[in-house]
Amino acid sequence: MTVAVLDSGTYYHHEAIFGERFRDRFDRVIYTPALTSADLAEPTLLIVPDRTNPALLRQHQPLLTDYLGRGRTLVVLGECEAETWAPGVRTAGRPTNFWWWLDPTQKPPHQFVAPEHEMFGYIAPESTIWHIHGVLFPPAGAQPLVAVPEDRNGRDPAGVLLYDDRVTTPGRLVVSMLDPFYHHGSRFMPAATRFLDGLLRWAQHAARS
Amino acid sequence: MATIVRFSCGHNISSAGWAERLAGLSCTVRDVDLYALDAALLGSADALLIGMHMDQRFLQAHTALLDDYVAGGGRIAISGHIAHPFLTGLSPVRPLDGGGIADLTISRVKPHPIWEGVELDDLIFRRGVAGFYGHVWHVPPEDANVIHTLGPSRLPLDFIYRHGRGEVLMHGGNDMWSFGGDDSTRRLLPQLVSWLVEARA
Repeated sequence: MTVAVLDSGTYYHHEAIFGERFRDRFDRVIYTPALTSADLAEPTLLIVPDRTNPALLRQHQPLLTDYLGRGRTLVVLGECEAETWAPGVRTAGRPTNFWWWLDPTQKPPHQFVAPEHEMFGYIAPESTIWHIHGVLFPPAGAQPLVAVPEDRNGRDPAGVLLYDDRVTTPGRLVVSMLDPFYHHGSRFMPAATRFLDGLLRWAQHAARS
Repeated sequence: MATIVRFSCGHNISSAGWAERLAGLSCTVRDVDLYALDAALLGSADALLIGMHMDQRFLQAHTALLDDYVAGGGRIAISGHIAHPFLTGLSPVRPLDGGGIADLTISRVKPHPIWEGVELDDLIFRRGVAGFYGHVWHVPPEDANVIHTLGPSRLPLDFIYRHGRGEVLMHGGNDMWSFGGDDSTRRLLPQLVSWLVEARA
């Protein structure tokens, strides 16, 4: 009944996982290049942090697919090229809108389409509002949690930033395009820290329930 | 013709787009997966770019190899925060005491060709927001040449130090070779590369 996390050796993974703020949230830390099936025997929930090396994740695809096949929970964050290795994941890139918050006329487009979902008992919806790198297209039956409409007069498609998929595999696959480990671990974006705080509190709950 | 090796960690990067900005410099930039690092690769490289997204646990396991490379005359430019020191002279990242404008204000301690013509305001601000170039600091070796500092306490942000016959440039922030919009930070990439290859030119 434990929360495991992959550590790819970057400074921001190190700060997010071993830094004072969140170090108590993980029961097991696994160095990504060294991941083995034995590491995944016991953990009930595995977090793949944003910006985990996608070439390594493709190599580890059989282990991760087997993990879901055993009914466990996999949480996959942004910039991991999840569409190349995680079941059912489809994405589209967007020009990153780093500066939306400097434009007083620009209202964040985020739609919280399932406010009753258990994750929002831990994650403040507004903590998911920052720049957008791209969107997800959830498979049929998955539960979208945060959605964004099409943008730039229809040039960028509408999609989802966070979803919960309990149908594609025997396990549970939570996928997000957000990259909180990078931004929290870089000590630069308070919303990312708030989102990561909520996500990790939910992860502890989900791993134990 | 000098060879610069730029490491990547799983995400595709391409330095081909730099060609125009590096025109006139006698060098090529090779994009290489970090896990291919070995003595033979280092033997073929005149300089290395080690960026902010690299696996520092892997780099730390290769400290002796990297130390020998610099001692033998290699140059390395590092960007990012240090979590796992991987070269003699590096130490773990330190946070600033505060995040106000005064704390994030960069001072130039002394001029250096890499930053020639690069305005401090262009380093400090992007669209009026401070901190993108750097918002943490590292303790430099005693004999380091400190170029830029942060805040009233003058905490080191950019410094260069010698190790044997080679040199290490430490920039404690976003990849300094990635700057280059429509302001003076555009000079950073060609001037950095020029400095990296001059030793053996």
